[in-house]
Amino acid sequence: MNRNSKSFLKEEYDELVKKNFDWKLRILESGSTPHSIVDGKKVIMLCSNNYLSLSNHPKLIKAAIDAAKQYGAGSGSVRAIAGTMKLHIEVEKRLAKFKRTESSLIYQTGFAANAGLIPQLVGKEDIIISDELNHGSIIDGVRLTKAERAVYKHRDMGELEKVLIEADKKSRRILIITDGVFSMDGDIAPMDKIVKLASEFGAMTYVDDAHGEGVIGEDGRGIGAHFNIEGKIDVEMGTFSKAYGVVGGLIAGSQNLTNFAYNKSRTWLLSGSHPPAVAGAQLAAIDVLETEPEHVKKLWDNTNYFKKELISMGFDTGESETPITPVIVGESSKAKELSNKLFTEGIFALPIVFPMVARDKARIRTMMNAGLTKKDLDFTLEKFEKLGKQLDII
Amino acid sequence: MISKIGFVVNPIAGMGGKVGLKGTDGVLKKAIKLGAKPIATQKAVETVKKFISINSKKDKIKWFTCKGEMGSNVLKKAGIKNFEIVYSPKYNSTSKLDTKNASEKFIEEKVDLILFCGGDGTARDIFEIVKTRIPILGIPSGVKMHSGVFGISTSASAKTLNEFVNNNLTIGDAEIMDLNEEKYRKGEWKIKLFGIAKGIVEPTYIQVGKSTFETLSDNEIKDELYEHILDEIEKNNDCLFLFGSGGTIDYIANKIGVKNSLLGIDAIYNKKVIGTDLNEQGILNLLRKYLKVKLLLSPIGAQGFILGRGNLQLSPEIIKIIGIDNIIVVSTPAKLASIPAIRVDMGDEELDRMFAEKEFIMVVIGYRLSRVVKIQTLT
Repeated sequence: MNRNSKSFLKEEYDELVKKNFDWKLRILESGSTPHSIVDGKKVIMLCSNNYLSLSNHPKLIKAAIDAAKQYGAGSGSVRAIAGTMKLHIEVEKRLAKFKRTESSLIYQTGFAANAGLIPQLVGKEDIIISDELNHGSIIDGVRLTKAERAVYKHRDMGELEKVLIEADKKSRRILIITDGVFSMDGDIAPMDKIVKLASEFGAMTYVDDAHGEGVIGEDGRGIGAHFNIEGKIDVEMGTFSKAYGVVGGLIAGSQNLTNFAYNKSRTWLLSGSHPPAVAGAQLAAIDVLETEPEHVKKLWDNTNYFKKELISMGFDTGESETPITPVIVGESSKAKELSNKLFTEGIFALPIVFPMVARDKARIRTMMNAGLTKKDLDFTLEKFEKLGKQLDII
Repeated sequence: MISKIGFVVNPIAGMGGKVGLKGTDGVLKKAIKLGAKPIATQKAVETVKKFISINSKKDKIKWFTCKGEMGSNVLKKAGIKNFEIVYSPKYNSTSKLDTKNASEKFIEEKVDLILFCGGDGTARDIFEIVKTRIPILGIPSGVKMHSGVFGISTSASAKTLNEFVNNNLTIGDAEIMDLNEEKYRKGEWKIKLFGIAKGIVEPTYIQVGKSTFETLSDNEIKDELYEHILDEIEKNNDCLFLFGSGGTIDYIANKIGVKNSLLGIDAIYNKKVIGTDLNEQGILNLLRKYLKVKLLLSPIGAQGFILGRGNLQLSPEIIKIIGIDNIIVVSTPAKLASIPAIRVDMGDEELDRMFAEKEFIMVVIGYRLSRVVKIQTLT
């Protein structure tokens, strides 16, 4: 027999390397701090999702240590069998209270939430309507369903309405899915309008607010609070791994939603639950958000200053409304060159190129951090200005 | 890898336009008498210059061209010195025969792409020789450019060429349209679908990781469209399906296992062909027999027309009987990305109003996957 079932491993990897599509992993030799050590070099970190620098907050660290000391390193089981600890329940209660929803449920990761829940919400006779720029994990969740799918132009409510009119004629259930904060452009889905349209057509709404949790809305309560529609979005999905500074996925909504979700999501049912240290830190993160509003405020002060200065230098920052500020430079090669030069100058910010974004919209994606000082920002801006001129961008 | 480009210019393309002749086929002398000036050379130089300015792999390109105004002069003017002349026209005033002869030579040289400057007529002449063996890219310079092989501007053609030599593009279908120039000059607008050539298109990217993508080939996408249509047919087994023309629909029909016509309208009932290459009357006869009908159409690349170009058998009367809600539009995402809107040109007030009121149409772009696209009516 001539069968070779293993050669593809090397062949496909080599092909990725050849096309320069492989991931070259950067090694973090410090914690994920505003000033990190990456591949041996001290840099200002502009590509972590640790927006509020909570991963280094003493209260979170202490809570993780205390929980580990009290309950051990692991949880021993999946949630459904013997892995639901009092701590997990406490996180869910506190989170629902913070997000002003009836209930909440913690998943192992944000990806597990999308991939586990979305396929359970719709069946063959249903339709999922989604924004064309939705994030990969939503797309995978959607691909696991048998439902029909329709796509509308990014944030275009006119197109969404047209799709709803068509869907209304033939579908049983309608599910509208969108990112809350879009991770490439830093713009925000018009959730108030989406909820309004959804109610007109009896549709369900699902928002992936991974980049909005802890960032937008009052004290970082997320997109529901941002638009004053708390409790009106059917599924608010988010993550503990970004602004909350820990790890884990979450959904918030009605009790009916969470009862359904934990009984039906295979990712939730079949993965081990979070170790006590994770749950302890999650709880402390909510605590910090509730009692120390200065972190969110500092994040926004930094963001507004940084964005304003970039624009006044002549950089194109697109449609960003959040701490994700793209610096659009045009051709992919230019974005890569700028990123490399920034790294040499001590700034870590990754390029985003085609096909993640349009061919002529390659960019450096910067993510602001509440732990950066004005001096740090001025240093960063000075380098952007120098390199921007050198590379003929401004 | 070295890209071999066959380059041919139809020097007289576009000369009829400004003097109101709607094409130069057979009336060149009249056009010159009326004061027509050649524009193709300039358009071709513009494109090649633009291409040189953005391309970084000059040493990886080999040009094959024709002598004089049909190619070598243009390349020289644009600053390219290294090229091979593979064909020399016999006379100073060139004709469609020269375009065809040059195309033969390009086949012999096994070029990767034919870049031409001209209009629908030039596209047709090249296609007649190369068929689907070599992809074709057009620099727009003719009077009529309804074919799917043209860039929307000289600069767009240059960019497409650059992406092609950088191996960023893939090969897909491109409709070759032409009208009868004699009839057109008399005011009879008769564009017909001449054939389906190979053009170059953006592949479809499927995100598989945070920033990793798989590209789907044109045929993988068409397989999805086939599965979608098969579902529709099986769900509606009492329904007559009219299949429009073009490469995408042809692919679907072949997969279903029916023998259809590539360029005409075919009728399918219960997965069997009951009428092929139907004319208006033939379709009307069927519509009397079958009460439930769905019409499957696919837009023409770059142009976006689903009705009124290349399928005039589908008269306004027929579309009204079928009902615009019973039109299923399918397209590969790559083709859809190349068109500004779904366009209809029926010349019928009532239909125009119906389409205008509908505003948008759902276009099927994958298995059970669609996206909403604006409808534009030409009146």
